Amino acid sequence: MRGEANTGHGKRERRLAGALVAGLLCAASLGGGLERSARAFDGATTHAGLTQQAAVRSRLHKILGRRLARPLGLFDPIALHAELIPETERRLLQERLLALDPAGGYRPGQDGVASALAWTVAGSVIAKSSPGRMRNFFLDPSTGAGLRDDAAVEGTLHAVRQVVDGGDLRDVMTGASFPFEGQPSVKWLEDPENDVGLRAFRDALERAVADPDPAQRSSSLARALLALGGSLAVLEDAGNPAAVRNDFRGSYLRGASSAPFDRRSSFEHAVADLYGTSGVPAPRAVVQRDNVAAFFSAPDGQGLADRTQRRFFSDGTVPDDGVVDHDTSAADIVKAARASLTYALPAIPRLELRELGVRHYVTISDGPGARPRRVLAYERVPGRVRFFLDGAVYLDTARALLPEIAGYAAGFVDHVLRGEIKLEQDGGRVRAVVNGPAGKVRGGSLRIFAEDASGRRREIGSFPSDGAGIDTASVALPAGTRRAAAVLRGSDDAGPLVAFGEIALPASR
Amino acid sequence: MIAIAASAVLQAAAGCGPMVERPRFPSRPDSIRPADLLGPYDGKVIDGETDRPIAGATVAASWAFERGIGVPGPADAEEVVVQTGADGRYVIPQLDRLPTGLSARVRRFTLIIYQRGFVAWRSDRRFPGTTPRRDFSQRGNVARLDRWQPAFTHAQHLLFMGGGAKIREVAAWEAQQASLDLEGETGGGRMSADGEETRATAVLDIGALLTDDEIRGVTGYVGSFEKEKLSDLPTTEFYDSRHFKAVNKPESFDVGLRVWRLGVAAAEAQYQKLRRELPKADVTDEIGDASFRARSGDIGGLVFLVRDRGVVVSLTCGSGQCTDPAQLATIGKLVESRLSDLPPAPPLPAAPGDEAPAPGPAHAPAEAKP
Repeated sequence: MRGEANTGHGKRERRLAGALVAGLLCAASLGGGLERSARAFDGATTHAGLTQQAAVRSRLHKILGRRLARPLGLFDPIALHAELIPETERRLLQERLLALDPAGGYRPGQDGVASALAWTVAGSVIAKSSPGRMRNFFLDPSTGAGLRDDAAVEGTLHAVRQVVDGGDLRDVMTGASFPFEGQPSVKWLEDPENDVGLRAFRDALERAVADPDPAQRSSSLARALLALGGSLAVLEDAGNPAAVRNDFRGSYLRGASSAPFDRRSSFEHAVADLYGTSGVPAPRAVVQRDNVAAFFSAPDGQGLADRTQRRFFSDGTVPDDGVVDHDTSAADIVKAARASLTYALPAIPRLELRELGVRHYVTISDGPGARPRRVLAYERVPGRVRFFLDGAVYLDTARALLPEIAGYAAGFVDHVLRGEIKLEQDGGRVRAVVNGPAGKVRGGSLRIFAEDASGRRREIGSFPSDGAGIDTASVALPAGTRRAAAVLRGSDDAGPLVAFGEIALPASR
Repeated sequence: MIAIAASAVLQAAAGCGPMVERPRFPSRPDSIRPADLLGPYDGKVIDGETDRPIAGATVAASWAFERGIGVPGPADAEEVVVQTGADGRYVIPQLDRLPTGLSARVRRFTLIIYQRGFVAWRSDRRFPGTTPRRDFSQRGNVARLDRWQPAFTHAQHLLFMGGGAKIREVAAWEAQQASLDLEGETGGGRMSADGEETRATAVLDIGALLTDDEIRGVTGYVGSFEKEKLSDLPTTEFYDSRHFKAVNKPESFDVGLRVWRLGVAAAEAQYQKLRRELPKADVTDEIGDASFRARSGDIGGLVFLVRDRGVVVSLTCGSGQCTDPAQLATIGKLVESRLSDLPPAPPLPAAPGDEAPAPGPAHAPAEAKP
């Protein structure tokens, strides 16, 4: 009892402290009269659009129709039965799903039904639904590290803002609320805490085939698609310059106005306004990579994070302003600008500094014949040279990046769904053949299921790989089997693998 | 003292409303004054070709709320769905529930209008092409709905449209065609590489041929059905199916309906094929131009041909549901009476006998799961 009383008292104190600061900060923002002109990052639209484009361009539609008996593929309605989810998990999931904008087309109905495409897109939108998650969306491909920033005073201010906005004062004191350090995004994908990551995806996908009850399988498929979308969001951010250049403060904590709570990424906001959800361009090409990590970063430098980091600036990683006085030459400015960069690329070439007040751009061409795109704006003002990103740079960046990101995302979908089990009826038996893995499948078991007329499934065969790899198995079908299904959870040369397939059988069995 | 100070600050905080995004659309069509994102909104929906008002169009309005510092994310939403009146007008009341929290903001307002036969209308983007829309206004908005064109694809249309549960419900019929669009198996209305419009066809939809209530009316069954498609053959422009699955009952309470719409010659061939292949086929000629019954275990089947419509119908009913063979014929006659509602068969792509869905024994009505 005592402990409870103390806890309650502590909570009251924290709430009171939060309220005091809230009042002061709110009064400050009212004084500025800016609450009606605020703007914010609109990640929901961009991630939703990228994921939508990736899903449509990938093989997901055909895989749903042919391997999971979802005849309408991406448009097939799939029910998530909330009562089948553990209480705490359900509350967390429902909170995030019900917060989604119906106009996006990906918010499930009150009955828990949404199309396969909607579940996938919703997963990408809810993936960053709290600051604690966002900190794990960074990857510096040059070091392999996640977000690592010396937060200093700005970090403390940010933490205070978060507490006032509904966080916990204790988190400020312990530093737990500072979103300036996180796991590398590629690790976050596999983190057990990530309920819409790859580990969750594989678990749910296996259950979508193996669960006995049709309602359970439907719910598991919805969860798998949510997790697929959540994983895509992580990859898509490897195409966000701020996320691959260790730039949280410079990109995300800039004030859109003087209102203390109006902080967001100008680049992401501009992209959202330019493209919305349905305006996001289709992939230029579907990108194939050898494994999940290679979609992000690889020695060949062709991971999305690799390509993004060396070709684009983010708001907080532009060169420092250069001081101009009587003795300063243009070469000095260029040298100083280069020296101030954390990342050597994009390179700073010769600058045009003769005229005051004229805006110029550093441009880069992505290949022979490609139109140069603007990557950095600069302007000579009295006493210095300013470097910055503006709307023109954002536009060129988005034009170049979005189709590329969508192409990586489409390839990623195909990659994680590469394992197929082809089932064939052979008299009174069903034969399962594993197709599509990269090399031999190792670990796990190939499990075969029989589904009866009521839709219930039971395992009728399990074939461990025994270290030698497994690619085929056959088992007798029980009488009354209407459908056979198989799943294999193991790994191949490309990493963890879930292979699966289903087949409808003649009713005479 | 502390309590007084806290109270004062809390009062100050209470007066601190959420941030509200500045809309990119004007308050009225002829005004440059920005709109009030919170509403109210009103306008009129008209046929873009005739300028006549469209009554009964679904109008879904939603406000998206966001919250967060640095990385704002979805925090909640409010949706209002109305239908246009006889004069095509709609009214959306002002938003009366604001989000709470100091970083909370009303981020976006979106209006989606849907009427079958027309392209969906969104307040932020246009279809096709998804270019930004610039002619939306808060009050006195005029939404000109473009007629659906064969060159459009339903897949792209659904991706563009978005919308909540109500919009999904009224547009559900597009899902089948959208699925086929992605499969690339039908024309569905596409532009070929040289820009020429290809043939547009619609998949067969037999949803209106038979309802749960009609089955219950014939058989006296009091339970409910789950309605889905039979999974043995995909729905195409030539074939569609329905599985009336009796909830919490064994298969013998299920009813299955399959319809092939093939044209005169192909329908005849299909009928004869079924008669040869289905078990225990017994010609009865009790319905249509020709019919037979088949049986497998406790599932009875009735197949009939309507020559001038080029349609073959296969009905199956378990013995738990159809306790009297005459009930199957009654249901069959109900279906037959509605066949005139189906559009005529599209031209077959190749030799009819080869291209029509050709059910083998696995798809025989008496054997397949109804």
